[in-house]
Amino acid sequence: MKKILSRGLLTIGVLAGMAFIPPHKKIKVYMIGDSTMCNYPIRQWPVTGWGMPFANYFDSTVIIDNRARGGRSTRTFLSEDRWQPIADSLDAGDYVFIQFGHNDEAKEPQYADRYTPVPDYKTNLIKFITDTRAKNAVPVLVTPVSRRNFDKDGNAKETHTEYTKAVFEVGDQYHVAVIDLDKQSRQLYQQMGPVNAKLLFMELDSAEHPNYPVGRHDGTHFNEYGARKIAEIVLNDIKAQHLDLADRIVKGKNEAVVNPQAK
Amino acid sequence: MNRKTLPYSVTFIILLPALLLLSFRLLQQHITVYLAGDSTMANKAVRAFPETGWGMPFNAFFDSTVTVKNIARNGQSTKSFIADGSWTSIANNLSAGDYVLIQFGHNDEVPSKANYTKPENFTANLARFVNETRAKNANPILITPVARRKFDSTGHIAGTHEAYSSLVRRLADSLHVPLIDLDRESQALFQRFGPEDSKYFFNYLTPGENPNYPDGKKDDTHFSELGARRIAEIVLADIKALKPELAERIVISNLKIK
Repeated sequence: MKKILSRGLLTIGVLAGMAFIPPHKKIKVYMIGDSTMCNYPIRQWPVTGWGMPFANYFDSTVIIDNRARGGRSTRTFLSEDRWQPIADSLDAGDYVFIQFGHNDEAKEPQYADRYTPVPDYKTNLIKFITDTRAKNAVPVLVTPVSRRNFDKDGNAKETHTEYTKAVFEVGDQYHVAVIDLDKQSRQLYQQMGPVNAKLLFMELDSAEHPNYPVGRHDGTHFNEYGARKIAEIVLNDIKAQHLDLADRIVKGKNEAVVNPQAK
Repeated sequence: MNRKTLPYSVTFIILLPALLLLSFRLLQQHITVYLAGDSTMANKAVRAFPETGWGMPFNAFFDSTVTVKNIARNGQSTKSFIADGSWTSIANNLSAGDYVLIQFGHNDEVPSKANYTKPENFTANLARFVNETRAKNANPILITPVARRKFDSTGHIAGTHEAYSSLVRRLADSLHVPLIDLDRESQALFQRFGPEDSKYFFNYLTPGENPNYPDGKKDDTHFSELGARRIAEIVLADIKALKPELAERIVISNLKIK
């Protein structure tokens, strides 16, 4: 009898507790962008888009749907019909993280297929924003993550000036949250310095990794470590700007102090 | 030879080596590479990220004829690996031609830990892993415990596994087991980067940096993604030097990123 009573009380307690914590509705966070954000298969490791580790830090109410693709500009993302299926499937409360620029800004003749002049870039960003809002979903603009480019005095140089400025202009005009990843990633490279900043990127000696038999020297694409450091910048800016999404970022319980008995 | 048949014969000559290579690949038997060890090698739960065991990136190195099964777990010593049935689960499933990569020591060597294993028992347990692997016509590889990040006051790397690493070396020598001296090689890597920059290889996080570690972390034993991959690359380079048969199954690739 005592047992039944205590079980009953426990059940009531648990139910009462649940009533005070409104369960979050499940939402989707779509990510649209380029090779610095996209998913990569194991055969291409260790190259890693920052959307991959980003997906590891949300609670179970969030599904990250990373639709970013290598080589895409705002223009080709639209012309290849990659945007409309997302716009069609958006539900109220979903998010769209938008990070383009690397390919829009490519003026070299061999990149004519993707180049997008600034006015068109802005028009395309505005389309992503208005289509997202039409579904009562939330757009978030992200300035293009910086390339690793130091001057001879060891200062990290701006690499997306015009296009980052354009993101801010659209963000201001449409009152959209802007995560200044360009600036904050550059601060990270500066803090690490010209030599150590390479540890964030696809810098591989030949024969180091079998996926890259001739090695690789790349100041644009991240390795698994750099992608995580970039994802951390975005996660912390979501918190700093008090986006509702911040409530769904995991609250970890790992201890700072290493327990000598553990592991 | 008329002009029409020339392209076909040229095509055939070009395709022949490719066909031979393909048939060789198809004939290759599928094998499993088991990883037996502790937290420095183990797969991690997402809630522990970015802590990374070196077995995680190791998984990406091989072609489709190889399955990597990472049986390493946090806290394991040779003693607990036997006691909880982990070893039996490997031994019972081994097929001829499989590999077992064996890396213990971090937990065996600490007398205050529950999983402490006395030196003579450590050697005996490793010998058992080697002998039971060989009894199945599979291939054991012994690995000395990967180094911790510990520097003396003059900036020189300080070994932390001296006794147990030498036990592994001695056993490898007496049983003629291929040895990867990961303790020595990882110490050399950390020395090359020095006391400060070697932190990039470990799970070092400032407070507020990572959602899984709100108060930050300074861990001189467990790796970041970068450290885990660099350690795995050392192991792979040694496999190439030691075991040409397994090395033939390393993935062949030539990639372009857009």
